[in-house]
Amino acid sequence: MNMSFREKSIWISLISTLVVFGDYFFNIISLVGMPEELAKTIALELSIRALFLIISIEIIFQGLLAVSNHKAAKFGTDERDKLFEYRGNNIGYAVLVIGVFLTLGSIVVLEINPSLIEQFKVMKIPLFTAHVLLFSFIFSEVIRFSSQLYYYRSSH
Amino acid sequence: MATLPIKNKIRELRFFADEMTQQELAELVGVTRQTIMAIEKCKYSPTLEIAFKIAEVFGQSIDEVFQYHSV
Repeated sequence: MNMSFREKSIWISLISTLVVFGDYFFNIISLVGMPEELAKTIALELSIRALFLIISIEIIFQGLLAVSNHKAAKFGTDERDKLFEYRGNNIGYAVLVIGVFLTLGSIVVLEINPSLIEQFKVMKIPLFTAHVLLFSFIFSEVIRFSSQLYYYRSSH
Repeated sequence: MATLPIKNKIRELRFFADEMTQQELAELVGVTRQTIMAIEKCKYSPTLEIAFKIAEVFGQSIDEVFQYHSV
């Protein structure tokens, strides 16, 4: 496949985000039903592990990419890369804003009707509000990377 | 993404410039080879600055290299 350096770099970010945070959210959902304090401790450990993993994977793979494409890495981005980055950022930002409003909505709804936590099992996720916000951010990142890749592929 | 209304003669001009490669043109203009390829296939419209630079490389005026075809 004929890909530019920037496109390869975005593929690395997309796949590493999906793998690391896919695993993270899968583990977080499986904590539902555990004693609250224990679940919070495990959630904190999982978040530290996810943070460590995403930073390590990005450094290793982006580094390998830069070493194997030394000339392209030194060149940086051109106007087409910047245009697709700008378009991707716009789409990602819109998704993030929706996520932030959903988080605010969940805070207000739970403030008005705290008994909802008992009715909906998913709300028993440890640090629920923080995780809704984190999910919004990760989802917006996935959409941002995906839309950039879509523009690269469709202008090929 | 559909083909854009701005057509060009870059492939032809490269041929007459001693079969200049896309990589060589990209380096002269300051973009990636993939961008030159996308411009050639009319899948990406370059900025005026890049369009002028491409025309300059071939010693042509911008309207000799790029043509606008309204849909």
